Order: sequence, then structure tokens, then C-alpha cells
Amino acid sequence: MARTAPLWTRRRFLRNSAALLGGVGVMPGLLTACGGDDSASPAARSSADGSGSTTLTVDSWPIYIDDDPAEGTVARFEAATGISLTWNETINDNNEYFAKIQPVLSDGKTIGADIISPTYWLVPRLVQLGWLEPLPVDAIPNRANLLPSLKNPSWDPGGEYSLPWQTGITGIAYNRKVTGKVIGSMADFFAPALSGKVGVLTEMRDTIGLLMLADGQDPASATFERAESAFARLQEAKESGHIRRFTGQDYLDDLVAGNFAACVAWSGDVAQLALDNPDIGFAIPEEGGMRFADCMVIPKGAANIDNAARFMDFVYNPANAARITAAVQYISPVQGVDEALRQLGGEAAALADSTVLFPDAATTSRLHVFGSLSEEDEARFDEAFSAIASV
Amino acid sequence: MAGPNPGSRRGRFAPYALISPGLLWLLLFFLVPLASLARMSLSTKQSRFDFDPSFTWDWGNYADVFQKYGVQLGRSFLFAAAATVLCLLIGYPMAYWVAFRAGRWRNVLIGMVVVPFFTSFLLRTVSWTVVLADDGLVLRVLRSAGVVGVLRSIGLTDGDRLLDTPLAVIGGLTYNFLPFMVLPIYVSLEKIDTRLVDAANDLYATGSAAFRRVVLPLSLPGVFAGSLLTFIPASGDFVNAFFLGGTRSRMIGNVVQDRFLVQLDYPGAAAISLVLMAIITSAVLLYAKLLGTEELA
Repeated sequence: MARTAPLWTRRRFLRNSAALLGGVGVMPGLLTACGGDDSASPAARSSADGSGSTTLTVDSWPIYIDDDPAEGTVARFEAATGISLTWNETINDNNEYFAKIQPVLSDGKTIGADIISPTYWLVPRLVQLGWLEPLPVDAIPNRANLLPSLKNPSWDPGGEYSLPWQTGITGIAYNRKVTGKVIGSMADFFAPALSGKVGVLTEMRDTIGLLMLADGQDPASATFERAESAFARLQEAKESGHIRRFTGQDYLDDLVAGNFAACVAWSGDVAQLALDNPDIGFAIPEEGGMRFADCMVIPKGAANIDNAARFMDFVYNPANAARITAAVQYISPVQGVDEALRQLGGEAAALADSTVLFPDAATTSRLHVFGSLSEEDEARFDEAFSAIASV
Repeated sequence: MAGPNPGSRRGRFAPYALISPGLLWLLLFFLVPLASLARMSLSTKQSRFDFDPSFTWDWGNYADVFQKYGVQLGRSFLFAAAATVLCLLIGYPMAYWVAFRAGRWRNVLIGMVVVPFFTSFLLRTVSWTVVLADDGLVLRVLRSAGVVGVLRSIGLTDGDRLLDTPLAVIGGLTYNFLPFMVLPIYVSLEKIDTRLVDAANDLYATGSAAFRRVVLPLSLPGVFAGSLLTFIPASGDFVNAFFLGGTRSRMIGNVVQDRFLVQLDYPGAAAISLVLMAIITSAVLLYAKLLGTEELA
């Protein structure tokens, strides 16, 4: 508790201030559209193809890497390669981040980052818009360590543009101090006893995915028609006051404070939190849970592609990946991390046997990935979801 | 026609020269953006990720404002009005006491009204989530006093809680905008010549009559300014509803934030902003008429 409390407060602050400052980030873009001035000028454009450059910039999510200043991944990568790595925790919400980079990239300019970490569903959109560079796969030999199940993902068949950074499970987190019991199913989640004490995520695919599963629909083949009853249920739960808040990562504050009895949550966050707060638990709903991946991709015009490849290669070394896993507690996409964790010893070794970090076949069979939506369907999903969640 | 002499020409143009920096400022940072906003509000996105919507005289954006977001619009003005009234009820006695009763502590006390402003607006608002939490002290006290049930029955709270309810949003707005009410009222009260009150007493006015006939009318400019400084920003505010409100207490500012930043619906967001602006302007004009600005001078 003592360790995590400031951490989560910081995270909530980051997320919320990002939501507020988002406007500041977008405004120059709007001006760009009107005036066509130059708003993005990457500092390190030392040579055209990036060779010989000694810098690398990554845009990622808050608290998504082991950030020890001496022993952390950033420090060790810099020591191993001599490349100076700038790690930005600038992504707090996929839609907001997209809104921030869209004006720059659609104007044919570069955003300054060499690697960005969108969630899987954003990857095909970025590919289609032509805003990604293909990965220099030959320069990433450790890519061979990618888990076989992720080698041909629906969002990027062949893995030409993306490598997963971390993957995780979307399920239900609960605070036993408030509920008095485990919340193990969506039926429990929507039981009248929890009215006004539950939160759901603003991330559409996570929330609607779980609701579709509760309806017996498979989100892997989602269409707007199949999701209609999920939307109806969400609308109903909002209007009746059953849902208290739509949240981003800040659900953890409400969960710890007891404002939420239960909420839709991401596995790694809750695992980190549960270490210090035994009342907090995570469950994959009986009806099924969602699987997600946050990916590393290279935005169009990135200045340091070679260095980006070296970083990807570095974190796909199981020994390096294990250190990230031990810190963030998400499911690593890298094969051999469990062995590497055992070699690290201590607390990390115990993680090697966790079924949340290394889901067994029985667990995997209960997890679903949200399928790719047609452009038209995605617009309808987004519009319907925002009409409920944001208004 | 004889040429005008240079001296009178300078005399004629001097006022324009003096006012031009202000005019230029107004033109660049108010009129041009306003025109661009109006143009955007009548534009249509050609595709989903169209970043540069084209101008098409699309009045449908305005129809959407009332059809889709009428509830949030009405709620914003309701919350802002409630917060303004609360600020007035709390702020007027406060300003009055400081102006007439605080003696040499006046400057210290009025300074204390501003002191909370040294902390970030964001942090002050977020802190209320801790104070009002379900396990928090405030709720426990109110619950044992039976107040929560009363609040719920008049629709101010949602279930057995304070956080994420309309009451919390109105409370947050009141808290955040209180100094904007207190300071102008204080300034107008502080200017009042107390001999006027003495004169009223000499003419056999009771204390309350003297207040009603002398002090209150003289302080109306402060009340007017304070109400505007509270109501206008409060009706467009989204921070309080974002942190302290639930799913059923969102304000129009939250809608603009979502349309603009998340949905990338610039035309829709522009239309909402202009409607909000038009309504606020009419409300202010009406208010000025009701309060009789000519008497305020």
C-alpha cells in the first residue's frame, strides 16, 4: 500500500492531466491545418536513414517499463548500445493519442518519436492510413522469440509492421472489503447489490467485448448487429445508475478507495496492486475475458529506424524481457521469459508460476480477442459507445 | 481645397493610433478565431479521419447540438446557476463581514480568500475526490446525521454517496469560483462611505432598512460582476464534472472535450461552442437589463 499509493496517484494524475492538456496538444495541430506552419521538428535527424544516429525516442504508456534509473531497461539499453534513449509516458488513451498525432502525420510531417505503442486495434488503422514504416525485420533477430500464438495476429498478419510490447487480459477487478466476496462473472457484476459501485473502461473494445461475451456473443466476429444487445445493456446500466463512472487507468484509485466495489480492469495493473493490498483481486469472468496487446510500431518518417530495431531486439531477449515482466506484471509476448524469471530468483522467480502471467491452456481458451471491424462498423461502434460513455 | 494642416491630421489620427494595439489584439485573437470557429461549425467531414473538414453550410451541426446534447446543455446552466447562487449566499456575508467588521485584519482576510489559488486548480479539484470518497469522513458524518437520505430524495445525490453526483459537481464549482464572487463584492462594499449608513440611521432607518436601502444597492455592481465571473466560466467548465461527476452529471464542457479531442468531430464541437456562447451572451444581456445597469454607475 505504502509503495503503490503514490504510484497510482501519480498515474491518475498523469492520465487526468493528459486528458486536460490534450487540448493543448491538439491546438497547434489545428493551427497547422489553418496556417500550415511547421509544428513538428524532430531534434535528432542526424542522417537520412538514421545510421550513425545515437538517439532513440519512444512514446509509451505510464508505468509500462521497469524504470529504475540504474538497473532499469532504459539504463541497460543505453549502456549496452551507447544509444541515448528518451522514454516518454505520453500515451494515456488511444483515441486521445491518435487525435494528437493525426494532424501531424496526415500533413506528411514526423511526430518525433521513433517507436510508439498503440493498442492492437489501432495498428491496422495506422497501416491503412500509411502512417507506419515496415519493421526492419532483418535487424531484429530476437523477433524469433515471439510467442507462436502472436506470430500471425489478426491486427497485423505476418507481423510486418508491429511487435507486441506487452499483452494482457481485460477482466473484472474487485475490492473484497466492499463486496465481501469474489466477483467472478458479469452476472455478479451487474447484480443489484453492486448498483452505483461499479466502473467500466472508456476503452470501447474492452467494455463492449466483456458485455458481448456476457451475451454469449464472440467479439472475435463482432458486427454492430451482434453487439446491439451489449450496447443496450450498457445504456441501461448507465441510466439506472448501476455504472458509476467510465474510467481510464484511473480506476485503480476508485477501487482502492472503495468507491468501486468492482470494475472492468487490466490484469497487470491489478496484479501490481494486489501485491500490497490483499483485498484487491482480479477475475476472468466466467462468461469469458478479453485479451489485448499493446504494440511497438515505427511511425512514418521516424529518424532513427536502425536504433528502433536495436531496441526491439534488446527487449525481445528473454533475459531483458523478464525484467520488464517482473515490474509491469503483464503477459510477455517473448518466449522463455518464465525461465529467465526463475534465473532472476527472489520474488521474480515466483512469478514464473503465475497463471495470470503465463496463462495455461484452460485459461487461454476463455480469452477472446476483439476482431477487426470494417471501417464503417468501427465508426458506428465508436459513435454508439461515445454516445453512452462520454455524454 | 486647401490641404489639411499636418497638426490637425495628427490630432485626428492619434486616438486611432492609440487604440490600434487593442484593436489588433481583438482582431487577431478574438474575431479571426471566432470567424474560423463559425466556419468550422458549418463544415462537414468528408471522411472519418478527415482532419480538414470542408465548408458546406452544414446547419445540421447546430440541430445536433440541441437534439443530442440538449440535456447536457440544460444541466450546465442549471449547475452554473446553482453554483452562482451558492457563491452569492456564501460570498456576500463573507465580503460584508471582512469589509465592515474585520478592522485591521481586512487585508489579511481578503488575502486568505486568494491563498487557495496558489495551489493548482487541478490538484484542488482532485483533492475533493478524497474528501468526498465513500469511506471518507464527510460522508460518514452526513450519513449518521441522516442528511444523505434527504439529499437523495431531492435528486441531488445518487444512491448512498456524494462523489460522482450532481451535488459534488455543484459543490466543486462553488468552491472553485467562490473567490471570483467574493473579491468584486468586497471591492464594491469597501468603497461605500460608512457615513451614508450613519445618515440612514439618523433618519430612523432600522439596521435592516439601512442595509436594504443603502448598502445593498451600492454593492450591486460587485454582485453583478461577481455573478458574471462565476456563472460564465462555470457553465463552460468541464473539470469539476470530469473529476467529481458521475455518468449522469456531465456538462456541456465535457461534451466539447469529447467531440473535439476524442471523436475528432471539430464541426460538432465548434457548433456546441458557438451555441454556448450565444446563450451565455443573451443571458448576460438579460441579466444586465434586469439588474438595471444604468443605476449601477
